[in-house]
Amino acid sequence: MRTRMKDQWPTLLVAALAGTFGVLLLHVTGLLAAAIRADDVTGESDTVALMLGFLATVFVVIAVYVSAIVTSNTVATVVAGRTRTIALLRLIGSSARAQRAQIAKEGLVVGIAGAAIGVLAGTGAALGIEELAVANRMLPATDYGYLNAAVVLPAIAVALTTWLASWVGSRRVLRVRPIEAISNATAQDREELGRRRGRNIAAIVLVVVGIGLLVTGVVIGLTDPIGVLIGLAGGILSFTGVVLGADVVMPPVLRLVGRLFGRSPAARLAAENAVRNPERSSRMTIGLVIGVTLLTTFSVTMESYRAMLLAAQAAQPEVFAGIEEMLNATIAVFTVLIGFSALIAAIGMVNTLSLSVMQRTRELGLLRALGFDRGQLRRMIVAESAALTVAATLTGLVLGFGYGWAGAQALLGGAQGEPVFVMPGVPWVMIGALIVSAGVLTLVASIAPARRAMRVSPVVALAVD
Amino acid sequence: MQIQPSDLGLIARVAGLAKRYGHGAGAVTALDDVSLGLRRGEFTAIMGPSGSGKSTLMHIMAGLDSPTAGRVWLGDTDITELGDSALTVLRRRRIGFVFQSFNLVPTLDVRGNVMLPFELDGRRPSRDEQAWIDELFDTLGLGGRLTHRPHELSGGQQQRVAIARALATRPDLVFADEPTGNLDSRTGREVLGLLAVASARYGQSIAMVTHDPVAASHADRILFLADGKIVRDAGRSTPEEISAFMLSMELAA
Ligand SMILES: Nc1ncnc2c1ncn2[C@@H]1O[C@H](COP(=O)(O)OP(=O)(O)O)[C@@H](O)[C@H]1O
Ligand SMILES: [Mg+2]
Repeated sequence: MRTRMKDQWPTLLVAALAGTFGVLLLHVTGLLAAAIRADDVTGESDTVALMLGFLATVFVVIAVYVSAIVTSNTVATVVAGRTRTIALLRLIGSSARAQRAQIAKEGLVVGIAGAAIGVLAGTGAALGIEELAVANRMLPATDYGYLNAAVVLPAIAVALTTWLASWVGSRRVLRVRPIEAISNATAQDREELGRRRGRNIAAIVLVVVGIGLLVTGVVIGLTDPIGVLIGLAGGILSFTGVVLGADVVMPPVLRLVGRLFGRSPAARLAAENAVRNPERSSRMTIGLVIGVTLLTTFSVTMESYRAMLLAAQAAQPEVFAGIEEMLNATIAVFTVLIGFSALIAAIGMVNTLSLSVMQRTRELGLLRALGFDRGQLRRMIVAESAALTVAATLTGLVLGFGYGWAGAQALLGGAQGEPVFVMPGVPWVMIGALIVSAGVLTLVASIAPARRAMRVSPVVALAVD
Repeated sequence: MQIQPSDLGLIARVAGLAKRYGHGAGAVTALDDVSLGLRRGEFTAIMGPSGSGKSTLMHIMAGLDSPTAGRVWLGDTDITELGDSALTVLRRRRIGFVFQSFNLVPTLDVRGNVMLPFELDGRRPSRDEQAWIDELFDTLGLGGRLTHRPHELSGGQQQRVAIARALATRPDLVFADEPTGNLDSRTGREVLGLLAVASARYGQSIAMVTHDPVAASHADRILFLADGKIVRDAGRSTPEEISAFMLSMELAA
């Protein structure tokens, strides 16, 4: 099966964005490292440059991981919409493996194209930033060389993961039976959630072990700074478990959120639509969950830290002068770095929702024939979009708050020489910004599908193909 | 005083109806100057070769599509120029549909599908309507399946649910476009029998497109279409008479 070019745009966009982000980040890290080396005071130490490189790698990995989830979901959604075509090709003798290989090959081509765009755009952006920073005397002119091998690494990672994600996303091709070309299955787009036990068990083990370590870290943190590292390991493990078990975690949250929209037919169908493909909805939301969780974790920890610093500053104003500005700058930089992954996830959600609605044209026609007016159809789609964003944001906020508090407690609980309970700081600005972003995303994601839905003529429901 | 369609015992009427698709040389005339009235309480079958305009006629009469020329009434309402919202409310309250396939909302169970027209109207069925719905579930043999989703039902069961939904609001008119086209002939005839019973026992007005002479023999009246025109308007007929006429049409073509 050859996918249409139109279906490849979102994947190309995601790959290009991830590639640009990775290349830009590595260039900027390289620039900073060169600047540090050039400085007489800090030049001796490699630690800062090493830390920078490590942090950059972490953020690139997160962005590439999120874009891989987005890509595999896009491919899976496209494949689900093509079930009949695939079945027809199978019926006339094409093998499922050949069709799947074709999709993966296209993924590799798109991944390479995205990576190439990423190298160009990322290097261009880094050049621009250097120019600006040097002109404004924020950075000294350095001898940083843009032609270094390291920046090709994120590009290669993007190309390979796009390939891999297309392969994983096209798994469904193997499940299409030739008979589906001629049968009249009503639930064509139901993706069975069979044989996930191994994965779910791994997820549960990770979550349990992770939480155990997290609690241990918090307790040890009361007396020993090593607690932070134990807690960090616990946080990473348990969150990996949550992401792995997204198929189990997200549908109940989506159901719960769906219920908040009331009992009108539009709201009820929207709630059902949001979970009709549990696998798809989980992948649609988990990228956002990752972004929101990381943002919240980080800002809750920082907010708790700020409270403590302010107290210290009040006691010794000279020692802690200017500390708040530095803290704010750090928070801003990290927010942008994490926010980028959330942006990629959001693009994925917009695209998948649009595809899903397009695949339901016939059902939309049926609803129109039965007496749904255009307004009800639009409300149904906006509510479906809202269910997805609200569920993701809420899950991320709750998880992030827990992790953020645990982080603050492990980090600061023993910092003053005696064990204290650290009040979690509430990052109101961040929470406000997240809620506004979720609202914007809900609307943006529903614009195109709602418009298309409102144009669907009821006659399509009666048409026999 | 103007004579209203209902004064003539008509539940729906079209006059001088034409429908053309496309322009110029490639234009297709799907309906060509069709005038007819459907009588209240009757079960009307519409027959004709493929492409003769049966579906188009039904879509226009149901307010799903608009004609190129002519006028359409449902009861005493001239629906020809009604806007989208008014037509939507009209379909919701006064028309029932049974399509060939894809009749049911896949995310709703049997009860949810049948109740949908009421919920769209923002109301609960009255006690009287609820009794009627329960009776429908009973007659259609759906009693034990109310919480099943469409994909858990056989094709015949799905069509029964569609019939229950179409009849639940006691609409002025039920349109059925080849409702048994996807069923094996035995199941198909069972389902058609149910429609015939609804008409005979409860006075439900029904217009149904079908290819099956046995199915059409249940109808009070049979309209034959060819090339967008009504070529014959017959009363109740035997399957043999219907087959014979269909065959003569094919031979004439
Ligand atoms: N949307 C459309 N665009 C162009 N031609 C159409 C369209 N719908 C129907 N037709 C044409 O109109 C004629 C009547 O179609 P239809 O009413 O579906 O016939 P029937 O239901 O009797 O098989 C056919 O020639 C068909 O090709
Ligand atoms: Mg037809």
